[in-house]
Amino acid sequence: MNQWIAIGMLGVVGVALPIGMMVASALIRPRVPEQGKTATYESGEVPTGTARIQFNIQYYMVALLFLVFDIETVLIFPWTVIYRSALAEGVSLSKALVPMLVFIGVLVVGLVWAWRNGAVSWVTSPRALRRKTERQQ
Amino acid sequence: MVGAFDYAPAIVLLPFLSFLVALAGGKYLPKGGAFGGIAATAGSLLLSVWVFLTVSGGETHNDTLYTWVAGVSEETVSLELGLLLDPLSAMMLIIVSLVALLVHVFSLGYMNDEGETGLPRYYAGLGLFTASMLGFVVADNLLMAFMFFELVGLCSYLLIGFWFRQEGPPSAAKKAFLVTRFGDYFFLVGVVAVFATFGTAAFAGPDSFPHIAELAMPGGESPDGAVNTFGFDPRTWFTIVGLLVLGGVVGKSAQFPLHTWLPDAMEGPTPVSALIHAATMVAAGVYLVARMYGFYALSPTALAIIAFIGGFTALFAATMGVVKREIKQVLAYSTISQYGYMMLGLGAGGYVAATFHLMTHAFFKALLFLGAGSVIIAMHHNENMWDMGGLKEKMPVTYYTFLSGSLALAGIVPFAGFWSKDEVLYEALVHGLGGSTLLLGAYAMGLVAVFFTGFYTFRMVFLTFHGEPRTETARDPHGVRWNVKGPLVVLGVLAATAGLVNMTPVAEMLGMPGIELLHKWLAHGGIEMTTSEHYVTLLEEQADYHATHLSPLVPGLVSLGLALAGAGLAHVLYNVPSPERHTDKLGAIKTLWYNNYYQDELQVWLADGVVRPLARAADKFDQGVVDGVVDGVSSVSLFAGGRVRRIQTGIVSNYAALLTLGLTALVLVFGIMGGWFV
Amino acid sequence: MQLPSWAALGPALVLALTALVLLGLDSIDPDSTHSSALAGISALGALSALGLAGWYLLAGTGQASTGGPILLYGDALVVDGMSLFFSVIFASVAAMVIVASYDYLKGRTYQAEFYSLVMLAATGMTLMASSNSLASVFVSLELASLPSYALVAFLKRNEGSVEAGLKYFLIGAVSSAVFAFGISLVYAVTGSLLLSDVASGLVDAGDFVGVAGVGVLLIAGGFAFKTASVPFHFWAPEAYEGAPAPISAFLSSASKAAGFAVAFRVFVEAFPIASVVPMGIDWPLLFAVLAVVTMTLGNFAAATQENVKRMLAYSSIGHAGYALIGLAALSQGGPNGQVMGASMAHLLVYGFMNTGAFLFIALVEHWEVGRTFEDYNGLATKAPVACTAMTVFMFSLAGLPPFGGFLSKYALFYSAVQGGFWWLAAVGAINSALSLFYYSRVVKAMWIEEPSTPFELESKPVGLYVAVMFAAVGTLLLLPGFGPVVETAQTAATALFA
Repeated sequence: MNQWIAIGMLGVVGVALPIGMMVASALIRPRVPEQGKTATYESGEVPTGTARIQFNIQYYMVALLFLVFDIETVLIFPWTVIYRSALAEGVSLSKALVPMLVFIGVLVVGLVWAWRNGAVSWVTSPRALRRKTERQQ
Repeated sequence: MVGAFDYAPAIVLLPFLSFLVALAGGKYLPKGGAFGGIAATAGSLLLSVWVFLTVSGGETHNDTLYTWVAGVSEETVSLELGLLLDPLSAMMLIIVSLVALLVHVFSLGYMNDEGETGLPRYYAGLGLFTASMLGFVVADNLLMAFMFFELVGLCSYLLIGFWFRQEGPPSAAKKAFLVTRFGDYFFLVGVVAVFATFGTAAFAGPDSFPHIAELAMPGGESPDGAVNTFGFDPRTWFTIVGLLVLGGVVGKSAQFPLHTWLPDAMEGPTPVSALIHAATMVAAGVYLVARMYGFYALSPTALAIIAFIGGFTALFAATMGVVKREIKQVLAYSTISQYGYMMLGLGAGGYVAATFHLMTHAFFKALLFLGAGSVIIAMHHNENMWDMGGLKEKMPVTYYTFLSGSLALAGIVPFAGFWSKDEVLYEALVHGLGGSTLLLGAYAMGLVAVFFTGFYTFRMVFLTFHGEPRTETARDPHGVRWNVKGPLVVLGVLAATAGLVNMTPVAEMLGMPGIELLHKWLAHGGIEMTTSEHYVTLLEEQADYHATHLSPLVPGLVSLGLALAGAGLAHVLYNVPSPERHTDKLGAIKTLWYNNYYQDELQVWLADGVVRPLARAADKFDQGVVDGVVDGVSSVSLFAGGRVRRIQTGIVSNYAALLTLGLTALVLVFGIMGGWFV
Repeated sequence: MQLPSWAALGPALVLALTALVLLGLDSIDPDSTHSSALAGISALGALSALGLAGWYLLAGTGQASTGGPILLYGDALVVDGMSLFFSVIFASVAAMVIVASYDYLKGRTYQAEFYSLVMLAATGMTLMASSNSLASVFVSLELASLPSYALVAFLKRNEGSVEAGLKYFLIGAVSSAVFAFGISLVYAVTGSLLLSDVASGLVDAGDFVGVAGVGVLLIAGGFAFKTASVPFHFWAPEAYEGAPAPISAFLSSASKAAGFAVAFRVFVEAFPIASVVPMGIDWPLLFAVLAVVTMTLGNFAAATQENVKRMLAYSSIGHAGYALIGLAALSQGGPNGQVMGASMAHLLVYGFMNTGAFLFIALVEHWEVGRTFEDYNGLATKAPVACTAMTVFMFSLAGLPPFGGFLSKYALFYSAVQGGFWWLAAVGAINSALSLFYYSRVVKAMWIEEPSTPFELESKPVGLYVAVMFAAVGTLLLLPGFGPVVETAQTAATALFA
């Protein structure tokens, strides 16, 4: 016996279980073919348009900017926790503070660049606008 | 004190200088740079004579001039350029520079006076050729020899194809280049093998490869395994290496089966034929064997092969010479045949004899070619002997010198060729009777060839010079000037007398061994390992060659008789006012000979009608197997490439899938091999 | 005067600083492009990084003569001969690419972003060469990769470029996942990410050899992606073909070299042959297999291409196979420093000749001549100088004397033979011979063929010409200068094994 057998069993069970359930239900369930069942919403709501809607790219930009701050927070948080005790232990300011300032400084350069290049100004897509007005007409 | 050896590099450099001058400034020089070439070769000749005299004073020279790749440790080899001046190379230097000088002078008449264009190119080629040949002669190691050997081949390509606007010369040049190159591949492999085995390629001295090989033989001084023989018995391995080098020799010296390029090379200008394809370049092969004779002497197998190739080529080429119409073709086949004799001599243990024949042949064959050139000038570049006749009266100088050369070629006493050819045959005979019976076969072939030689030589002489003029041109030939006659006279005298330096039969008869000058010349010398005495010892100890004692008189008379018989037959048949084409009576044999045994195309062996299937098989082999392999390799790679392209579908999910599959396969294979899953 | 130890990272710091300066400049005036100023600053940055790296390398910083490797930031980074050697490669390739881009980008927007992305990628590569812990390896690898994805897709209006960028990114994501998984497995076994600790941890792997083996193999996969080796090569032909030609040059030369730099260090330091191979984790054999497959596949595929840029892309895969010999021909007690050093030297020479070849493509794209071999017909009549340079690159790539590529390949194969891996050298030599076929096709098209339609070349872009010439001169000078180069590389590599 070795431990790989357990992993192999896990794999086998993982595949066999869902397939077994699907097969079992396919065997047991009654078959009543009816048109209403193929509708998207069985409640009767008639869907309009397609499912492929284009979001405004701006949401994506905001998400990216958010990510930057997110990661920043992840790094700053543990740093703040140990900062005071580190200073108390006698770690010099240049070792405790300066690296974090450099880190934030780099992020600031990036943020300023993104800002200046219009990442946070809400742009309107002329094409999307045109499509919207077309639909309303 | 500054001696001859300090100036020896200039022997090589002077013609090279003339090459540069002709190449760069030939257009602006009078005669297209001819005088530069004449001056340079004359300088080389003078220096060669000086070297010769110094060497005859008992001094020799074996020194490295320049190391172009220095080995860093004991095991690595150094590649060097150096000079080896001993009796053999000193003699060869004189031959090469003398013939080169005469050919340069002759070219004034043959090229300049005939109003050829492109002369700077011509003289540049001659200069480079002379330089490379001289460099080859003085080379002190096999690699340097190989480099100059290749340069010589290149020059021959350039010069044969001199008239590159015509159809024949370029293809002849290509053929010469390719066929000799084929042999040189083996040579190159041989050079590498020599380096790999001995770690040096020097010809002479205590660290030379023939000497190391000698010590490494069973019973030699070196312990077993002193040299790496790649798992073979030393003698076997040395035979293999020797035969590889021999590949280059066979190509360059136009021996069977790589002789086919030489007759075609006659497409080049006649002085070039004289210089390159008769007297010097073709000699390079034979010279190389003589140069490393100490190596070949260790292997009776290699010697027997050399002797057989030589004897067979001698006979084979002589028969083809019998039926040729063009004067230069006859000479071409006689050249092949004569080099066959030299190889026979070397293979039969007659180192001195072969060297002797090399020397005499250089003189009389250069003479014959230059004489033929003179005839060709006179005949307005018509080479067909059947259009000549009766030229004897019109051009007496050419006739008498040509006759001298012909007598030498046919081996009629006392002209040069008799002494040397006779000695070659004598050596084959005595060593054959002395136990190496195989040599008797080679001897027989050589002996039969004597008859043919006498016949075709005098057929040529009679057709060209005797009888009635058969065409308008022959009745009123074009005159030639001093620059043609001069070289002819010099060579004519040499052809008549050069044999006197080594009259073995006479010495035997009169009991005066002192007159065998060449024997003494090659036997002495400061480098012990390259003397003929040493070679004789080697032959006896290693190759088991023993000479029976036999008077040279009887064999000499036999071969003289055969030569006279051949000449006499030619006299009866062709020395009439209007000769008939007697060789037509030979019927199918004539067709065979005339077409060179159908040797020209290597695939087509015998007759067009008989062996066409064989030819077709060869063709099929070439098309199907050789081309097929070549095409196959390329199409396989293209096909495989196409497959790879197909994998690259452009669909990124396929890539991800293949990537994962590949990784999984690697994990599985290495996991199972490394036992990771246990 | 003794510089502070952090100054040893000077090349990387200079490159990063340049990137920030470029971004800052663009923030001040985002709406207009000052191409000369931007290109000038970037070139200055790259050249100062090159100067610093070269100076350190010559001064012996981080080498045995001055007290051995300099370890920084809790041993996460290390500066030694090898990292400096590779910094020289990255900085010189970046400099050439920047100079060439000046003309290539003429009239395009987002130039500041382009240059700063190049500098950031170069920073990442320099850090890759200095990484001493699997964490910094991963971070620096991503720092090099992410700007590369954006750069490949730089031609926003060009479908090929965008598609190539996306594919590169997707394959890159898969490979990063594989790589990260590998790191996690190794960490699980050894309990450390520092290379030296990993090495000592592996000794007591005990029952977990299998886990460690899979981890090592997955890490190798991550490097194979970066070096474009089979089976992680799929992105390369598309990305090199679709990307702007200077970026193709950058990726195929510098980025590939970076992959090798980090692979050399990680495998030698973290998975020493002496302890790992007897355990059944035979990674030299793995790389031998990859090397043979990669060089064969790259060369065979290159032979059938019609598009010159794509041909170069495949040839670059083939060259990855040659360089892999530096990892494959290693054995316990073999001349490992020689082998790896020869591979490093080959990467340096390759950096020049391959960059030059791609920059020539950039030049041709600039002229809008066309992309296939036929389109190159008769190019030499119009631009003989550039075509001479291209001929040098082609023959050098094929490994013909008397060009730099000959000696580096020779040294590589020779050292492989010395190490007893003659069959690897033989496969390499056969592939080199095959490669001559398609390299000479370019030369033949340029010099011998007649142009099918007459064409005129309107301009001679100075920057591109300068970059191409610089690469050509570099390729030629590396023939006489190869001795010191290979010596430096082999010393640096030997120090790694010590």
